[in-house]
Amino acid sequence: MMKALKRLFNTTRPHFENGGRLEKLHPLFDAIETVAFAPALTTRSDAHVRDSLDLKRFMTFVIIALMPPFFFGIYNTGYQSHLASGLNLGFVPVIMQGARVVLPMLMVSYAVGLFWEVLFASIRKHNISEGFLVTGLLFPMTLPPTTPLWQVAVGISFGVVIGKEIFGGTGRNILNPALTARAFIFFAYPANMSGDRVWTLVEQSGQQAVDAVTAATPLALLPLATAGESASRILGEAGYTFQRLFIGNIPGSVCETSALMCLLGAVFLVLTGVGNYRIMIGGIVGVLAVAYPGYLIYLSSGGQTATMFSVHPVWHLVMGSFAFGIVYMATDPVSGPGMELSRWIYGFAIGALTVMIRVFNPAYPEGVMLAILFMNLFAPLMDHFVIKARLRKRVPNV
Amino acid sequence: MNAIHLKKGFSIRIAGAPGRDLHRLDTPHQVGMVPERIPFVKPRLLVEEGDLVSIGTPLFEDKRNTRIRFLSPGGGRVTRIVFGPRRIIRQIIIALDKDEPCDAFDVPTVEQLDAIPRQALVDTLLAGGMWPFLRTLPFMDLADPNTVPPSIFVRLGSDEPFGPDPVVTLKSREDRFGLGMDVLDKLCDRVVINLTGDESILSALPDQAVVQRFTGCYPSGNPSVQLYRTRTGSEQNRAWFIDGQDVILLGDYIRTGRYPVQRIMTVGGSLAPAAGHVSTRAGVPLSLLCSGGPAGGQAARTIVGGVFTGYAGSPDSFMGFYQNALNLIDDGDREEPFGFIRPGTSKPSYSTAFLSAFRRKPFPMDCGQHGEVRACVNCGTCARICPVDILPQFTMKCLVADEVEEALAHGLLDCAECGLCTYACPSKIQLREVFQVAKAQYYKEIS
Repeated sequence: MMKALKRLFNTTRPHFENGGRLEKLHPLFDAIETVAFAPALTTRSDAHVRDSLDLKRFMTFVIIALMPPFFFGIYNTGYQSHLASGLNLGFVPVIMQGARVVLPMLMVSYAVGLFWEVLFASIRKHNISEGFLVTGLLFPMTLPPTTPLWQVAVGISFGVVIGKEIFGGTGRNILNPALTARAFIFFAYPANMSGDRVWTLVEQSGQQAVDAVTAATPLALLPLATAGESASRILGEAGYTFQRLFIGNIPGSVCETSALMCLLGAVFLVLTGVGNYRIMIGGIVGVLAVAYPGYLIYLSSGGQTATMFSVHPVWHLVMGSFAFGIVYMATDPVSGPGMELSRWIYGFAIGALTVMIRVFNPAYPEGVMLAILFMNLFAPLMDHFVIKARLRKRVPNV
Repeated sequence: MNAIHLKKGFSIRIAGAPGRDLHRLDTPHQVGMVPERIPFVKPRLLVEEGDLVSIGTPLFEDKRNTRIRFLSPGGGRVTRIVFGPRRIIRQIIIALDKDEPCDAFDVPTVEQLDAIPRQALVDTLLAGGMWPFLRTLPFMDLADPNTVPPSIFVRLGSDEPFGPDPVVTLKSREDRFGLGMDVLDKLCDRVVINLTGDESILSALPDQAVVQRFTGCYPSGNPSVQLYRTRTGSEQNRAWFIDGQDVILLGDYIRTGRYPVQRIMTVGGSLAPAAGHVSTRAGVPLSLLCSGGPAGGQAARTIVGGVFTGYAGSPDSFMGFYQNALNLIDDGDREEPFGFIRPGTSKPSYSTAFLSAFRRKPFPMDCGQHGEVRACVNCGTCARICPVDILPQFTMKCLVADEVEEALAHGLLDCAECGLCTYACPSKIQLREVFQVAKAQYYKEIS
């Protein structure tokens, strides 16, 4: 089997090398071949021995960590769709329905994204970076299940080209490309990205009335609370318990409803050292640090003032896509800060901003996307000052 | 004694550590000098092909300071001088005579040593070719005979895989080490023995010597790291250092008045035919050191020096002036199906992304790069591993952007050139090379 694969690569390689017909596509060939066979590269000079970890494995581990939310997302998308459409809720049909929604989005995202990657890699004559595999997977996972495929294509194009390639490619982008793509779609096609109807794909078969089954997401419900009304009661009436929000069997973007699955991924990322725990813990602390005082003010006023703080702080951790964002988006090493101290601050600021956007600006039901993008911009500044403070302690040597 | 413990750094467990057994190597038929591996030196040849030389005949001098001379490690005929591109001197090969003639130098007796003025001692060391063993931080160039250093470090023990163990090199040569220390004491008021490894040799050291012990992971035996951990002010930055075994040579020289050529070296690495210490002489051919070839007949890389900082030598080459270790490591020139997703129970890594994190046995290392070169993604692994607290990822970007001043503020000159950042980088960026080149360039500009 491996020999046959090797033979295939050996016979096709001449076409992709200098002078071959497909010379321009060499980065693509190289990307595929190095996935199958780690190349026989030896060190040119010192250090003669090298660590076994490379970027391919590094990025592959992010993809592995994304698998729990991904598969749960497929199940949940199918489940919500069948529930709303009054169809069979058995495991297999639900999975099939979910796959029918999610996989085309994933394929479009990868295909269109890969097109841009190969284009830029061919022009710049460098290899395709594995980071794209993460971006191409992250982006469709954050979209509502009703997103038209052409919007997926436009979004990932914007994310890869404007979010990453015009800065010089992997390692030089200042914003997280997947979030850039998501933000672009959010502001360019608001009708498809927010509102009550986008979170569940309803099959038009049978006699079900479409309007009757759409449901607002928890975050969309909250601003509706009037003075004196407890947010948790509103959520409770809509059927959103803490447990449901934690497990994530609610309507929402395809793969980011489940805090539990994100927690599994986070444990994997932290244990393997791929994801930075400082950003994640900082984010949780940031959420609680803003939401708790607000909640106490709400309680002390007897529920008359500050109604937007009426939701219990811990709920903020499981509502919306905070868990997904802080685990998978905020820990992107390129767009995040590089110093350990600034990672704490960065995570904290994301958590704090998320809650502030949620409670003070009902126009944007989900704050974590904007919070991360905003803090992406500040990451270099944080590093600048943390490094400056650190260099002051050094004994000078010039 | 309070040891300074190094937490930042990394000790890879490589199979093939040399044991403490010492065996004598056969006398070689020829020895050689490898001037191109002595950093910063601008050699001017003092011999020609066909000349007869004795042990201690100057082979070349440093154009920058012609008093610094490098002497012949053998007596016989200069058979070949190998030049490389731009007439760099690769090798000077000397075929040894049966009974080698040996030059005698005018040295003070042990009793005179106390009273001799510093300058006279410096002249004696310069004449006897002993001066190049002293080097200056941070550029690791030869020491300047016209200056007095803030301190001299004696690096006793090497923790880079793999170098000679002081327990072996010092054995029954303690008196000569003591004499060498007396010489150093005349050169500088503050001479410190920086000891790594086995504490048991403390008793073999001179009583009045200042000893500072370092423990922890590699590179605790690196003089730059030792300086970084002990300095209190910037005036100590230009310290000198000398290897422990070379102090014994200083003692030898004062006692005998002859240029000492005996060395104790190690042969190690997972493919070494017989890992252990060998007693041989300076400039020994590599083919003799690793006679029998790599174990199992595999393709091996012959590394002169440690696996992090050494250089790959061809079998027809010779041991370098400063290197006392030879390591044979699997060349690693092979593909691996689906390498990126294997559990990796026998893959060494600083990260925890392999099951090898649970392994306690040493690893058979190879010289594979284990991945393609990628852009820096700012993962920060290099900053976590750097023993002198440089931020290699940021400093590297400063240098790429030609911001030398900023790189210096980041501590570029503290760089110990230990190679750990290059080792650990998942993007396979050769950070050590970037820093080494930048340091050398800066040095050329200021000198």
